[in-house]
Parts: sequence; C-alpha cells; structure tokens
Amino acid sequence: MSYAYLFKYIIIGDTGVGKSCLLLQFTDKRFQPVHDLTIGVEFGARMITIDNKPIKLQIWDTAGQESFRSITRSYYRGAAGALLVYDITRRETFNHLASWLEDARQHANANMTIMLIGNKSDLSHRRAVSTEEGQQFAKEHGLIFMEASAKTAQNVEEAFINTAATIYKKIQDGVFDVSNESYGIKIGYGGIQGPAGGRESSSQAGGCCS
Amino acid sequence: MPETDLHDLSDDLDYTVLQRQGSTSNLSVDSARTSDPSESEIVYSKENVAVHPSQYASERISGRLRIAKQGSLFLLTWTPYKAASSLSDSVVRNLNSSVSEKDRNLYTIKPVSLNDIHSIRRHVPALGWQYIIIVLSSGIAFPPLYFYNGGVRGFFATLKQHVFIVRSANDSNVFLLNDFEGPLQRSLSSLELPRVFSVANGTPVHDSPSEVSAIDDSVNVNRITSSGTFSASEYGGSLKNKANDPTHDISIQVLEKFSLVTKFAREATSQIFREFQDNHEKNDKNQKICSSWDVTEVSQPNEGGNDTQSKADDIVETSDAPKFDELSLVWGKQRQPPLTQEEWENFLDSEGRVTDSMAFRKRVFYGGVEQKLRKKVWKFLLGYYEFDSTYAERDYLESVRKTDYETVKSQWKNISEAQAKRFTKFRERRGLIDKDVVRTDRSVSYFEGDDNPNVAVLRDILLTYSFYNFDLGYCQGMSDFLSPILFVMRDESEAFWTFVALMERLGPNFNRDQSGMHSQLFALSKLVELLDHPLHNFLKQADCLNYFFCFRWILIQFKREFEYEKIMHLWEVLWTHYPSEHLQLYICVAILRSHRKKIMGENMDFDTLLKFINGLSYQIDLDAIIRDAEALCVCAGENGAACIPPGTPPSLPVDSDTGLYSHQDDEIL
Repeated sequence: MSYAYLFKYIIIGDTGVGKSCLLLQFTDKRFQPVHDLTIGVEFGARMITIDNKPIKLQIWDTAGQESFRSITRSYYRGAAGALLVYDITRRETFNHLASWLEDARQHANANMTIMLIGNKSDLSHRRAVSTEEGQQFAKEHGLIFMEASAKTAQNVEEAFINTAATIYKKIQDGVFDVSNESYGIKIGYGGIQGPAGGRESSSQAGGCCS
Repeated sequence: MPETDLHDLSDDLDYTVLQRQGSTSNLSVDSARTSDPSESEIVYSKENVAVHPSQYASERISGRLRIAKQGSLFLLTWTPYKAASSLSDSVVRNLNSSVSEKDRNLYTIKPVSLNDIHSIRRHVPALGWQYIIIVLSSGIAFPPLYFYNGGVRGFFATLKQHVFIVRSANDSNVFLLNDFEGPLQRSLSSLELPRVFSVANGTPVHDSPSEVSAIDDSVNVNRITSSGTFSASEYGGSLKNKANDPTHDISIQVLEKFSLVTKFAREATSQIFREFQDNHEKNDKNQKICSSWDVTEVSQPNEGGNDTQSKADDIVETSDAPKFDELSLVWGKQRQPPLTQEEWENFLDSEGRVTDSMAFRKRVFYGGVEQKLRKKVWKFLLGYYEFDSTYAERDYLESVRKTDYETVKSQWKNISEAQAKRFTKFRERRGLIDKDVVRTDRSVSYFEGDDNPNVAVLRDILLTYSFYNFDLGYCQGMSDFLSPILFVMRDESEAFWTFVALMERLGPNFNRDQSGMHSQLFALSKLVELLDHPLHNFLKQADCLNYFFCFRWILIQFKREFEYEKIMHLWEVLWTHYPSEHLQLYICVAILRSHRKKIMGENMDFDTLLKFINGLSYQIDLDAIIRDAEALCVCAGENGAACIPPGTPPSLPVDSDTGLYSHQDDEIL
C-alpha cells in the first residue's frame, strides 16, 4: 500500500501497563485481555491520514521488564515517535517514567516526539495517579499527554494520530531532514494514492517496510 | 617513551606480589619494545591473558592484552600467541593442545578504542583465575579474558589513568567507561545499546598474531610454572601455519563445502536415500528397537570414494579443512518417529537404570519422545533424575523432593499481608508473576479459561522458584519455559524440580546483566562467521553483529517460534545435548542460513531484519531445521565448538566464586 510517509513508533513503559493492548486496539480495534506477554518486540502497522496524506505507522511494541532494558534500547534507533505508557492504577509505573525518559532521550534521536499515555482510564475507581500529575509530568518534560483506555478505546486513536500529526508538522516546519532515515521517517513511493485511513492490520505482519 | 607504563601501581596487590617474587614485571618487559611502526605508544601490556574457547584445558589460548596510545586514542588489543614451533622450551607446552592457529586468531581483539567500550566486568574469585569481560557500546561482549598472572587491579589502575571510569551502581564488579551521565542514568541497567560501531567498521586492523611474544613470554611462563599455579596447557597448539588471515579462508571453505554438501544431500535424499540406520549400535537392545521400525540401512552414494560409509551416521570429527572432502554426504540424518514406551523400557535394566545413556540420548535426539513418555524422559534429560538411578531411588527422590518443595513454598505462603506491606521486593515479584501467568499460553487448552487452576499452579511454582533462587528471582520468559513443563508433569512439585533442573543450565539467560544472553549471542556471531562468512560480512556492514534480532529465539529456546507440540519436541532434542551442548546456536545458524538469500538480497537493515526474523514465527520447518543444524554442527566440528566460550548456557557456569548468580542487584525485583 502506498504512503506519503512511514513513521516508526516505539511503545515503551513498565511491564503490564497495556502497551500491547494499546497497539492491538489501534491496529485491530479490539481489546484482547488474554494475550502472550511480549518477549523482545512485536510489530504492528496501520495506515492513517494526516492532511490528506496517507501515512503508514510502523509500531514497535517492546517488552517492559527491567531486565530487558539493554535490548529495548536497540529499538529506539530511528524512531520518529514514542508512546510512553504508564498505568494510572499503579503508582510505581508512573514513578519509573523518569528512567524511561532518560533511556529515550539517550538512545533515540533528539527530535523524537514523545506522547505520554496514562492507560487504563476506564479503571478510574482504582486510580493511583491523578490526571493532574500526568499533565504536570508531561509539561515538565515537554511531552504530549493523554489518558487513554485500551479496553474502551478511549483516546487510543487520538494518541497515535496526534503523535503522527506532531511529527508531520515537524516535517512541514523543516525540523527533519526526511531523507535521513535516522529520524524514523521514510518517504513513500506514491504519496498521493492510497485509500485514506485504510488499515493494515495484523500485529505480526512481516516485511512491510518499504 | 619507555617510561610510559610507570604509573602508580602501588595499590595493585598482584603487582607487588610479582615484585616480591623478584621476577621481571610483565609491564617493564614490554616497555622495552614500545617503538611501534604506527607510532603508537604502549601504555599497558599484560602477558598470559587467555581466552577459554571451551571447557577443555587443551583449548585455552594465551595471548597478550595491550593498550596503546595513538594520538588521543587509546586502543585495546588482545593478540593470541602464535603457537610457536621453533621454541625449545617445550617444558611448558602441552602437546595435546588442540587449538589450531586459525582458532587462536578467531578470538583476536583487533584494536578497539577505549571510547567504544561501554563497561568491563571483573571477576576476582578467591580460587581460580581472575578474568574480565569487556562489553562494547555496540552491545557486543568479548569472551572472558583470564589473567593467568593476576593483575586485574593493575589493569583497572591503568584504565583509570587514561579514561573516565566509574563503578556501576548496580554491580560493584562492573566498571563503566565513558559514562558521563548523571547518577540517575548510571543507576540504569549496566548494558546498553548501539551508538558506536567502530569495531565493525572504522578502526585500524592488523591482526597478525604477535610473532615474538611466545619467546618473550617464556620467561614469565617458566616462572609461573615453577610457582605451580599455572599450567600452560594452551601453549602446544597444532603447528599448522596458514598464510594470512586463516580464519577467513577456513570459513569460506567451510561454507563452500557445506553448500555442496547440503545441495547434494538434498537432492540425494529425495532419490537415493532411504532412511539410513546406525549399523554401529552398541547393543542388541537397540538393534531390536531400530529394526522394529522396519528401517533399512542405506549405503551412501560413493561420491568421495572414501570409507565414510562404515561410519554411517556417526558424528564425523572435522577439525581440519581437508577432511571436508571426505564429507560428501554429511547431512542431518532422517528424522525418526518418537520414542515409544516399548523402546523406552528396553533402555532400562531390571532395576530401572538407563544403561546406555548415550544411545538413549541419541535416540531421543533423532526422534523425540511420545507425549506420554515425556514426563519420565524429560526428568532424565534435564538431570533431575540420574541416568543410573534405580526405580527405588527415584521414588525416594520424589518423596523427598515433595517435602522439600512444600518447605520452600511455605516460605512465601507464610508471609502475611502485613508483612508483605513491608516487603517490597516480594510484592513486586508477586505482582509481576501474577501479571505474567495470565499471559502465558492461555490458548493452550490446559491453561485456558477464567480461573483456571493450572494457571494458579504456574504462579505458585514461579513464586516458589523466586524464593528457591532468590538471587535470580523472576524474569519474563521463565513462564514460557515452565508452561510446557507443567503441562507435561501435571504435578506441582515435579514440575518445580524439573524447572529447577532446567534453570541450572538456562538460568543465566535471565541474569540481570544479560551475561548469559551475551555469551550466546557472541558465540552465535562467531559460528556464523565460521559457517557462513558472506552472511557474517553482510551482518557486519549492516551493524547487526550484536545479533539482537535472535534474542527471543535464544532467551526462551524458540518457544515463540513453534506450536506447542513442536516446541516440546525441539526442546527434548536440544536437551539431549547429543551432537552438541549448544545445538540451539546451530539451530539459529540453520534458520538464518535458510533465509540468507533474502536477508542479503534485500539488503536488510537492523529494523527490517528484526521484523523479518519475528515474522518467521510458526513458519519454520522444524524437522528440516534440526537436520540442517545437525549437519552444520558436524561440519563445524571442533572449530564450531571453539567458537563457544566456556560457561555459555546451557553449559554449567564456570564460576563457582560468588555463588550461582553473582550480584543480581536488581532494583525492581
């Protein structure tokens, strides 16, 4: 499927915050509470439309456990966007954000757009992190922020698409040299055609990078 | 210039000991010849620093570790001694050394800038040799360098003078180089990722083994030998001298031979081959078993005209290139049907001992076992049961183990919620395990559905294990290993102890510093270099030599790559350790090789390759890959074994100094 741009995303955050579920909700529009835990990395992809341009998101869903940090760091290379996820019902996942951010700052390119996501907003009765705290953290670190729910799909589209819109704007503003793929952006062949908003599902589809 | 190495070593115990012994310090010996053509200045040089390619003493490779200053750069090298033939001081040479010149050079550390080193881990056991492991920023780790003369502290003292070096907050034995970050960052995991790739690309290369070193070093060697602490067994060496870059030549040769072999064998299998059967079985029992499948012996096509036929399916030792000519038909043996109950009983003597464990493992290697036998057989393969144990001994063991299990389990069972409130590590482990067991093989009927009791058992075993082995704790991936084990055992205590036995060998996969993974990935890169040099070169230029794209394969022994039934089959095949303890690495090579055309043809970069490899899940022909791996393993022979550092999982750890899992200072767990 042709696209104007391809953006590489990476989803990071502690184990069990719902990274894989967010991805699945975004690519397949379904919530699957029972799925295998992620070892290493899994992939997903979907087409979206920004400014009438078809854009393909290639999303890397990473393992969250601390032990795998060293391997996770190899995935940052060439990512244009990152979704940094915590679980609003588990305080510690919020407390670890700083160290995730450090990793991202160090191993990703400086212009990577980072979206902070407080997931599981449907479980507000068990909330352990307030929305304000999330906002505050995002503000302090220059991140976009949103609370979302992979279960109800609330804000999931928005999270992925707003990130893409931010990246797209950076391209328009000339922040990126798009011919340099280390920014996580590839230019597609047929930027004009392609059913707008068409989806390419399957979270494990192979070989669809170019 | 000769003064360069006169840095302060007053705090170096090893150094002072050396001085006291009245021997010439290694450092000053070398300082005499610091005038290099490349105008580099030797700031550190240490003799008798060795690599142990395998657990065999005869295969150890001694060499010289050096740091040279070139302009503003400090370059570290390790050069194996030439297996000197002209020297008469054979007193210290072990004539049985089996390491050829090319193997010695395999481990050469070409000049690597200290700027490219991420960290160095040191091991200073009370008994045995001190060693260090150097980890590059690219994630590549070199095999352990053993300091036969001691002096690890001196080495760090020198480093300290030239580069910024700090002790890792996570592990007091890890020293971070070039770590200019804040304390927060420093407290993060001790290994990190590709930023610099100068090893693969930029740095100057001259890999001729040092010519004079063996002579110079003889002084030291003699001294050490006389002091009785060091046996210079690695010195003998086969005296083959190959012209420039023998490593390269041999790998090309291996590759070419292998391509021929496989190509021929593939064609041959379809036409000529009948299932060929071992005509060398050691006892009648097996003969009977084999004939019971009505298989016939195959006569090998007489390609080479050699007498390999008489060795039908024996593992052919191939330490030398010329021998490949004889291997016109090395091709993994036809797979067999799984071991049956009847056959199994035939392996046992009247009291229940497996009399010929080799034949047994071989049989399992070629066919796996029937599902209902797995419960018994896995316990033997994993070492929970001894092969020479009797029925009675095993019954007794089980009953004792049952009690033992309950004892360990009660340790966490007795933690009250009030206590747990004050026991963060426990709460976190429990939370992690709780989260993971509900995400483990839930599509397998044994674990599916809400409130499945088997999921609870999975959880209890993992939590108990994290107490049994508190240092290692719990790490993601363990539940992937445990799930089929519990499925097979259907008993909590038995599953636990079988899992424990497996973790004795594969626990290091989950070391927090990833050392077990790194050593396997390193060995894999060496194997590919040996067996498929073009692919190696391709991966090198694509910055993929850290082999992180094979991480999942190795971490959980391909668990996510095959269906449940198939993974049980593959595991029991791997656990036989039949053609090699490290067959899992040859499986990796076999899979990579089967896609080499695509990988290289499409010029895949790291991202694309990782994605491609991930996508192979459930697409791999298991039998074909096992056969390929077997053939590769046979082809590689000793050269292959030499690619694998000692202690590489699933080998048992070489360390006994600091406990099984040293310094698991994990923050989260």
